[in-house]
Amino acid sequence: MNPLLALSVGLTAGGTFALFGVLLTIMSRLGKVVNFSQVAVGTFGVFLAIRLVPKDMQPWGAILVGMLVAMVLSILIGFVIAKWLGDAPVSTRSAATVAILLGLYSLANLLFGTRPQPVLAPFKGPILQTDLVNISQLAVVTTVTAILVAVGAKLMLRYTLVGTRLRAVSDRQDAAELMGINVMGLQLGVWAVTGLIAGFGVGVVANIQATDANSMITILIPSAAAALVGAFRRLDLAIVGGLGIGALQGLLTAFPSIVLLKDWIPILVIVVFLLWTERKEVWDVAR
Amino acid sequence: MSHANTATRSHQLRFGIVVVAALAVAVAVTFGLPSYVVFISTTVLVTMVSLMGLGVVTGSAGMIALSQLTFAAVGAWVMEYLMFLTPLGSVFGGFSFIVCLLLGAVVAAVLGLIVGLPALRLRGVNLAVITLGVAAAADLTLQKIYFPDAWLNQRIDRPFGMDRSEFGDRMYFLFTAIVVVIIAAAVYQVGRGKLGGMWRFVAFSERGTAAAGTKVRNAKLSAFGVSAFIGGLAGGLTVGQIGQVSYVSFQTAASLGLYVLCIVVGAHFIDMAFFGAILFVFIPEILKQFGIPLEWANVVFGVLGVQALTSNSTLGDQIRSGLRKLKRHGATAQPVSAHLEEVDLERTSAIFTTTGQPLLEVKNVTVRFGELRALDDVSLTVYDREVVGLIGPNGAGKSTMIDTITGFLTDYEGTITLDGKPMEGLAPDRRAHEGIRRTFQQDRVPSSMTVGQYMRLMAHGKSTPAEIDEILSYFGCPPAHTPLRVVDVGSRRIVEVAANVASKPVVLLLDEPAAGLSHDEHIVFGNQLKKIPQKYGISVLLIEHDLDLVRSVCSKLVVLNFGGVLASGNQAEVLRDPEVLKAYMGEKVGE
Amino acid sequence: MSLKLEDVTVKRGIGPVISGVSFTVEPGQITTIVGPNGAGKTSLLEAVSGLVRSYSGRIEVDGKEISKLNRRQRSRAGIVHVQQGRAIFPSLTVRENLELASRDTDTFTRVLGYFPELEKRMSSATALLSGGEQQMVVLGRALMTQPKYLLIDEMSLGLAPVVFMRLLPVLQHVADTGVGVVLVEQFAHLALGISQDALVVSNGKVSYHGAPSVLLEDESRLQSAYMG
Repeated sequence: MNPLLALSVGLTAGGTFALFGVLLTIMSRLGKVVNFSQVAVGTFGVFLAIRLVPKDMQPWGAILVGMLVAMVLSILIGFVIAKWLGDAPVSTRSAATVAILLGLYSLANLLFGTRPQPVLAPFKGPILQTDLVNISQLAVVTTVTAILVAVGAKLMLRYTLVGTRLRAVSDRQDAAELMGINVMGLQLGVWAVTGLIAGFGVGVVANIQATDANSMITILIPSAAAALVGAFRRLDLAIVGGLGIGALQGLLTAFPSIVLLKDWIPILVIVVFLLWTERKEVWDVAR
Repeated sequence: MSHANTATRSHQLRFGIVVVAALAVAVAVTFGLPSYVVFISTTVLVTMVSLMGLGVVTGSAGMIALSQLTFAAVGAWVMEYLMFLTPLGSVFGGFSFIVCLLLGAVVAAVLGLIVGLPALRLRGVNLAVITLGVAAAADLTLQKIYFPDAWLNQRIDRPFGMDRSEFGDRMYFLFTAIVVVIIAAAVYQVGRGKLGGMWRFVAFSERGTAAAGTKVRNAKLSAFGVSAFIGGLAGGLTVGQIGQVSYVSFQTAASLGLYVLCIVVGAHFIDMAFFGAILFVFIPEILKQFGIPLEWANVVFGVLGVQALTSNSTLGDQIRSGLRKLKRHGATAQPVSAHLEEVDLERTSAIFTTTGQPLLEVKNVTVRFGELRALDDVSLTVYDREVVGLIGPNGAGKSTMIDTITGFLTDYEGTITLDGKPMEGLAPDRRAHEGIRRTFQQDRVPSSMTVGQYMRLMAHGKSTPAEIDEILSYFGCPPAHTPLRVVDVGSRRIVEVAANVASKPVVLLLDEPAAGLSHDEHIVFGNQLKKIPQKYGISVLLIEHDLDLVRSVCSKLVVLNFGGVLASGNQAEVLRDPEVLKAYMGEKVGE
Repeated sequence: MSLKLEDVTVKRGIGPVISGVSFTVEPGQITTIVGPNGAGKTSLLEAVSGLVRSYSGRIEVDGKEISKLNRRQRSRAGIVHVQQGRAIFPSLTVRENLELASRDTDTFTRVLGYFPELEKRMSSATALLSGGEQQMVVLGRALMTQPKYLLIDEMSLGLAPVVFMRLLPVLQHVADTGVGVVLVEQFAHLALGISQDALVVSNGKVSYHGAPSVLLEDESRLQSAYMG
């Protein structure tokens, strides 16, 4: 296959990685956690929704219900972590989300079986197809969503009172509490919104990227790599990273002899950016 | 002294008894139980190996590792490759199995080091992300390239000519049991030794580890490498057991489940690794009997995992503390304290015999945080066998000074020289090796080891066991076999001082060492500090707030205020200086 | 209507850091707690504001025991704690720090009246301000919440005395509007000058409780508490 064509096809997955990379970055900055269950809540929500919603109202009915379920799940998880692990370090909070990922993965296999799910595709086909490039509608939808979320988050944080409060909580939680700010409410709000968007993200790509519970991990890893490109701080770089990883993986399919490398691209990206961001040894007070 | 020896000997005796008993049970099972149970028990033992490996890196060294079964897969793959496709598979006869098993584990360990290196520099969550990624990628790759046994459609030969009959299965169980006992014994001994102490220290406090002369990265990397090696062994044993493996035997989800199980039971305890393996293998069996889908086991493990994290304790911790309570017949534990003997509280001015050689020279050091000058052109010198006090009001820059001298603050102007050797560019662990040691204001003595283990860890071999005991008794510390978890906070600070003395440094920086002691105990402790230079040849720089203590211990004082040196010189003069009084108590109204 | 402490002991770790503290703060009154480096003094304020939840003894606000209330509820009850070390929100601007508490323009104008220097720094990120300006932001933020009882921990820490003297009259004005103020200070003399009640804490115990004038007239009492 023509390398450029292969690369552009890879953008479909890349858009998903960009979107979840943005969500992971938001959770890291505002929720002080690396949320391993980020994709899982979306997947679980969607799989539950396609069973609850009648076929003639799918796919959009299912996507909406899936978003709601994902939001509720996310709030529950956020509550547990905020209430009992509120003062715990980032690693402990993240470890809790690992345990929750395990639980959701198993529960999904139990309730929905391990065979591919009957999801319907809301966006089919390309938006631009030539001999040189093939960009799917899906790639555009997910990328645009990622950009909207990133821009929306930035605007909200800078220009709204809620955003100011969120930044204050993120700076110094104890001082915020002493001022009477509703820290728990704000944090649950962040969990709720990221859960909602996760449901959307999985819902639109389900038919090609998330047909079973394994997507909880296979989408998570490259998305974490994307977030690492932005050092879990910068949303714009997370989007670029996600698209880049998708493009690289796509590109490799044009070279059958090294196609095995494709599965290792996210890891290589993670390693490179870890080495880069941690190149100077810095001691912070906590340790 | 003999008490310590008896304690060690009874420990070794108990250890020996456990090993023999385990082997006896293994033999009994080999010949006494139905073959299906024997086969499952082999799986239990192999899972126990994986859990022990995980226990080293999570429970012992405090990291999140989500790829334990991937290391097993690597060990299995390499072992099969060597046995099928290289002469190593037959050259050693019945021992080839063991040789290839070990080599496979070595390759797994190498992979662990490669994966761990970028992740382990500082933040623990990064390792979680990388290991999950490696596990997922390895899954996909194994699905595509298969294991060598599938290429050749053969099964590897079991060791020592065992076949795959029912009897062969029983013999293989016995073989596995012996191997597992050896691994468990090794893990146990390493855990009690210096390496295990280093792992527990780095899990508790990274700063403390570096200040004691160990690179944080090396401590964590060694833990991860060892866990990967043990993981590789588990993989090889699996191949010997079931003969034909695929990616299904080593799936990512199972690695996740193993990690969660590990933190629920506390697999850094060997007995809990065994218990956890039983849960991992037998719970699905029981569910199968009742017709309940196996995945429920994982859901339950997930919930238990969250519970273990929020309560910050593992099943192993709870069982052990429960047993301790039983031994005490329900009485509450009394914390053990250091015994500071009654000493004359008279304040003697301190004059020392010194060679007059400057040992620690701080010259024109300035530290800036943005616009703020935390240290402003500070110079001070600690001469041979002196006790110098560093005092000043809160926020004056004393802790910043210590952080700069010991290397935790690298961005400074000026020079710091130890015995003529410049310290610029040296990391904290290197400065510790050169002879600068420090204690911390916050409790950085890990409670998960004994006093003796901590002392040996900190001493870096510079003191003999006899010398360590002498230092402990000089400071009135609890004896070496006392577990630190029962020692009260104030006494732990004294143990920290004693441990740093045992490392025979050139200069010892003490950051409020007596906080947590009563006022009278402060004075007694001060008298012991006073004698350190003469007794041990170590110079001391002491940060303290109790000016009574300072008066009786220090010959010289340096007063910091707003990051600069306000006064320095003879102790009595400095404390009478009206500028110093003003710095502590504020301006008088109307001045 | 007062803030009342009765025989309060606060434990940190194994032993008490401060014990047996009793005093009452009426609206409009300034109480100063002085003494050498005080982990105990800070812990006392933290017990009142809820940063530290467990203490023995009684703490009452306007007649009600507060031990069951969390930090947010205590803040709503009128207890405002200005922490040691200038706890600004570094990534927020001065304006954002102040508006976090309240957007009421009258209060805003009044607070700016206390700290006119902040006017030209409204859009600066507080991380870039000088120590004195940061202390003003923190105080201003506390005042924006319209406290009933204001607890201030070591306001003078790291501030040049002349800057500290600039801030003291503000506290006096604030007290005059009916706020009860508890000042924990290392720099005894200046703080005592504006107080109506004084406590000296050393080695975790109250060694003096009474009129500030006694301490100001007799040097030796303070000196022995600080210098031993």
